[in-house]
Amino acid sequence: MINFSSNLSETELIELAKSGDRKALSLLVRMHEKTVFNFAFKICRDRDRAENTMQETFMSLVKSIGQFSGNSKLSTWLYTVVSNHCLMMARSNRKYSETSSYDDDEVYIDEKSVVDWDVSPEKITENNELKRILDEAIQKLDPEYRIVFTLRDVEGLSTEETGKITGLSVPAVKSRLHRARAFLRRELNGKLAS
Amino acid sequence: MENSQVKVTCSEVVRHICDNLGEQLNSPKCLAIKEHIAECPDCSKYLNSVEKTIDLYRQYNFEVTDDVHSRLLDKLGLGEKED
Repeated sequence: MINFSSNLSETELIELAKSGDRKALSLLVRMHEKTVFNFAFKICRDRDRAENTMQETFMSLVKSIGQFSGNSKLSTWLYTVVSNHCLMMARSNRKYSETSSYDDDEVYIDEKSVVDWDVSPEKITENNELKRILDEAIQKLDPEYRIVFTLRDVEGLSTEETGKITGLSVPAVKSRLHRARAFLRRELNGKLAS
Repeated sequence: MENSQVKVTCSEVVRHICDNLGEQLNSPKCLAIKEHIAECPDCSKYLNSVEKTIDLYRQYNFEVTDDVHSRLLDKLGLGEKED
């Protein structure tokens, strides 16, 4: 009988889950569900879709945990599944076909119009208007750029990890990140500039 | 895999910019960029707004409610007897 009150490592939990231990699997789900849900929401920008994506992601985990090699982190695998699922949904909806082109940096880098922003990020939880502004801005960003921005800047992954998850080269990750930041910054500048 | 709540610093933004330019953090080009930013109010404001953009999206999170958690475990056939 495994004593789950002790602090088992993720690797140990994975090995237990592979051998059919449901409690270990439940603990792995609990360890990662918040991050998976938030990452899915940040890409899908819809709570129902985020929940559906989270469920599909963990169903994939349950089905394939036996084949998980451990060569990469479980989180990397989960981010990859969520990314692919969200991109598949976005492509099927085609609602992003009208998003902007990112070919011209000069369109987004508007240093000459810089002003201070009168906003406190830590107040986000109590500011629904600010949430609406953030939602509107990032929804205009192509999901493929949104994923890179979220993995690299929001989740704090390295450029190399982001490339591995998205299947992009390091220079491609850097390019998309730069353009995504500039695009979002420009979109928010019109609403948050004091 | 916990979402980082660490506040983005200006130096981090500068490092990213240098990284994007393919420059090392202590390269002459990167040092020149840092010097320029320190003396240029417009660039400082611009970088500050990029920093706030990143920070805003970092802070915008949801809790997984008990209902969402229960539905997930039910979907996975794991029930709620996990403790």
